Amino acid sequence: MTDLYLRDRWFEDLPVGEFHVFGSHTFSELEIVEFAETFDPRPESTDPDQARLNHRQGLVASPWLVTAMWMRKMVDYMEVYAQGVNDGRRNGAGVAINDLHWLEPVRPGHTLTYTYEIIAKPDRVIREKWGLIRSRNEAFNQYNNKVMQFEIDILAERQPKASDDPQQQ
Amino acid sequence: MATPSPSDHLESNSIDLNKSAIVAFASRFDPQPYHLDADAADQSIFGGLCASGWHIAALATRLVIETLLDNGLPFVEMTSVSQLKWSQPTFVNDQIRVRVALGESLEESPIPDTRRQRLEIQVCNGNGAVVATMTATAAIASEPALAAST
Repeated sequence: MTDLYLRDRWFEDLPVGEFHVFGSHTFSELEIVEFAETFDPRPESTDPDQARLNHRQGLVASPWLVTAMWMRKMVDYMEVYAQGVNDGRRNGAGVAINDLHWLEPVRPGHTLTYTYEIIAKPDRVIREKWGLIRSRNEAFNQYNNKVMQFEIDILAERQPKASDDPQQQ
Repeated sequence: MATPSPSDHLESNSIDLNKSAIVAFASRFDPQPYHLDADAADQSIFGGLCASGWHIAALATRLVIETLLDNGLPFVEMTSVSQLKWSQPTFVNDQIRVRVALGESLEESPIPDTRRQRLEIQVCNGNGAVVATMTATAAIASEPALAAST
């Protein structure tokens, strides 16, 4: 069971309650500034000196940097477990997120650890071949305080019926 | 500048999304074939090279920040997103812009000297089609001069 990779399983094979730790990332001042220069180019978000006067009294990571890094950690994690697996079709795109909260500021040097747990498999069939995997995702900082949480629905390919194209098997 | 009333829809400027920006973001945060490689993307569920959904969310938020500031609302930070739906992909050389409706205002906020403002955000492409919708809450400075004076 544990040696099976996410993408090597059909929608039907993914159990509610499955839990993964995607890994950790330490946010540097440089990447916090670079992200803000593109997505929040206000001086209080990009200049460490001016940031001391902001409501956080210092530079903090843009909320979307914290969340985008979850995506990177998930992709990296799956690639490690995908060695030898060519079928990336079974894991599709995300379609919606719910209840995303940024709970505490992430400052330069903070290290976040990202976790993922399958919490539901909504009873829907999308474009005939996809099911939905709903996961709860959380990030904890080096003090073990939760700094972010959200739920996301991601498409997962349903196992073709025997009458379908046998090459899909 | 007068503060907009809750029924107003605020319109942002637009941002061009070219291939290098899409690939640069995806390389860093979402390195999956349909965001990196045109041939692989053509075979994918999206049918073409398209931006990461997180790229769209971050760009839309930049447009929200600019739009609120332009309308006299001192945006501090986005604090939550109760729902974000991606309804269609955003392809190379598309544009995005946002339409923001102001929802309820809440006094309590996790950030000192701010209140929270609910925002209903539509993200549109160059054809005016909605590519994503987002219901968010942002911290807004209680007094506009505060951030600059403390």
